[in-house]
Amino acid sequence: MITPIIKTENLCFSYAKHKKDITSLDLEVPKGSVYGFLGPNGSGKTTTIRLLLGLLKKQEGEVFLFGDSFSKNRLKSLANIGALIEAPSLYEHLNARENLQVAARYRRNVPKGRIEEVLEVVKLDHTKKKKVKAFSLGMKQRLGLAISLLNKPELLILDEPTNGLDPKGIIEMRTLIKELNEQHGTTIFISSHLLSEIEKTCSHVGIIRNGEMLFQDTVKALKNSENGKLVVEIENDNVSLAQETLRELDIATDVIEEQLLSLTVNEKNEIPVLIDTLRDKEISIYQVKIKDNLEELFLTLTENQKS
Amino acid sequence: MSTLSFYWPSIKNEVVKLKRTFALWLSVISALFIPVIYFLYYLIKYEGLIPKDGENPWNRFISQQINNASPLLIPMFIVLVTSLVVQIEHKALGIKHLFTLPVPKWSVYFGKLIVVIGLVLFTYVLFTSLALLSGYIVGGIHGELQFWEFTPEIQRYLKLLFRSFTGVLGIIGLQFWLSFRIKNFIIPLGIGLVLFITGLIVFRAEESIYYPYAYSMLSLFSLRGEDVNALVWLPRVSIYSLGYFLVFSILGFLDIRRMNIK
Repeated sequence: MITPIIKTENLCFSYAKHKKDITSLDLEVPKGSVYGFLGPNGSGKTTTIRLLLGLLKKQEGEVFLFGDSFSKNRLKSLANIGALIEAPSLYEHLNARENLQVAARYRRNVPKGRIEEVLEVVKLDHTKKKKVKAFSLGMKQRLGLAISLLNKPELLILDEPTNGLDPKGIIEMRTLIKELNEQHGTTIFISSHLLSEIEKTCSHVGIIRNGEMLFQDTVKALKNSENGKLVVEIENDNVSLAQETLRELDIATDVIEEQLLSLTVNEKNEIPVLIDTLRDKEISIYQVKIKDNLEELFLTLTENQKS
Repeated sequence: MSTLSFYWPSIKNEVVKLKRTFALWLSVISALFIPVIYFLYYLIKYEGLIPKDGENPWNRFISQQINNASPLLIPMFIVLVTSLVVQIEHKALGIKHLFTLPVPKWSVYFGKLIVVIGLVLFTYVLFTSLALLSGYIVGGIHGELQFWEFTPEIQRYLKLLFRSFTGVLGIIGLQFWLSFRIKNFIIPLGIGLVLFITGLIVFRAEESIYYPYAYSMLSLFSLRGEDVNALVWLPRVSIYSLGYFLVFSILGFLDIRRMNIK
């Protein structure tokens, strides 16, 4: 098996003595994956990222990056990482280019044209002399991303990268992540509290709650774990007749809104059959929607075990 | 070689970060302050300030400026400017970024510290130049002040300024550590001012030789006497101050190195 890019063993950390913030976390991020690190607010996502990068001192356990112990190879590992942790670190009295120049000078081996390249990638090449102070939240976020791309990292760590971005920005970020992963083979570690975000971009997922890993596998495995059942919502003009018709087919339904029915089917192929049956009764159907059952799964995973 | 290759970019970056900041302006304004007051003083009250025959007017003009600037203004300036320079980093949330770059932490810490010292030194140089320049200008306007007939005894003034500069290094070491550790700009500022005011109260006591915040007074105190030439370049306070500087800088770095960055 190929060595994972990120691996932690029994990682523990607490800010205060009486409470553990991260409890024996075993993280494993395969090379070339887009790994979604998912958890509600305050579950320890950012703390974990800070532990991975050595910003916080781990109290127990071990972090391995690129197969080597991080504490023994700090500078070498960091040279291959680009990171954007929470709000980006930007000097507001300088412009975008100057901010990139500062970061590039620290990294020392960034080729000259790279600054223009990353500015183009995040679409900030038009900002010229505008100071970062005058940037919008989304522009700052993109500049932060540009800084983390300067060294063409093998591993990109992004903490809630879509925070503060507008819908267009979110889609662009998604495309960019896919592009980096597919074209440059960059392994990407993204944290988020939004399942939909992870589902759309990631190949692997880890779910964390109260500092404990609840689930870690491929996104596909997560979807399969919900035995393939689909929740479908049907908007129609005659709810009671539709309910009756479906009852004859042995399908239980719930009325969610005045014209909205919810039901569960075993597989996709059943849906057109249902529609045809309803249409035969001259029920008008306005909308059929497959509900995202991952969302519920995520909620059950993160909310249930409140011991 | 490889060590320096980390250090130079760090220093250069710190200089770039000073661009358009208040810290930079503060050091210019602080250098300007006393020379401008003395320029106006000599310009308006020149009649009472005409030197006796054969007396070098520069000595009084410059020594008084140094005596006014150094004990009081310089420590306050240092407390303020150190906080401001480090604040640039805190405001940018920069430390978490710097400490995840493939750069040793010491080069970040000492790079910034060197720039703070450089900024203080810059203020001293600018102050000296402006003091001399204002003498020549006011001497050009009022010839009877005889600034053009005599040459300033530069070495003597440099000696005083050097003593003052080495005398404040100790508090730079401590203020820098505090500012780096504490995000809130007011706390190191407040601590610095309280410690300095304590220095003002206790500096006459013999024991104040062990208290770095009294050194800005102590390094010039004997100067009030007549014979300035008897002064040495490195009096006892300067040596102690350098000692404190080394201790605080190294302790500061060791502390910052293992600090949790939240």
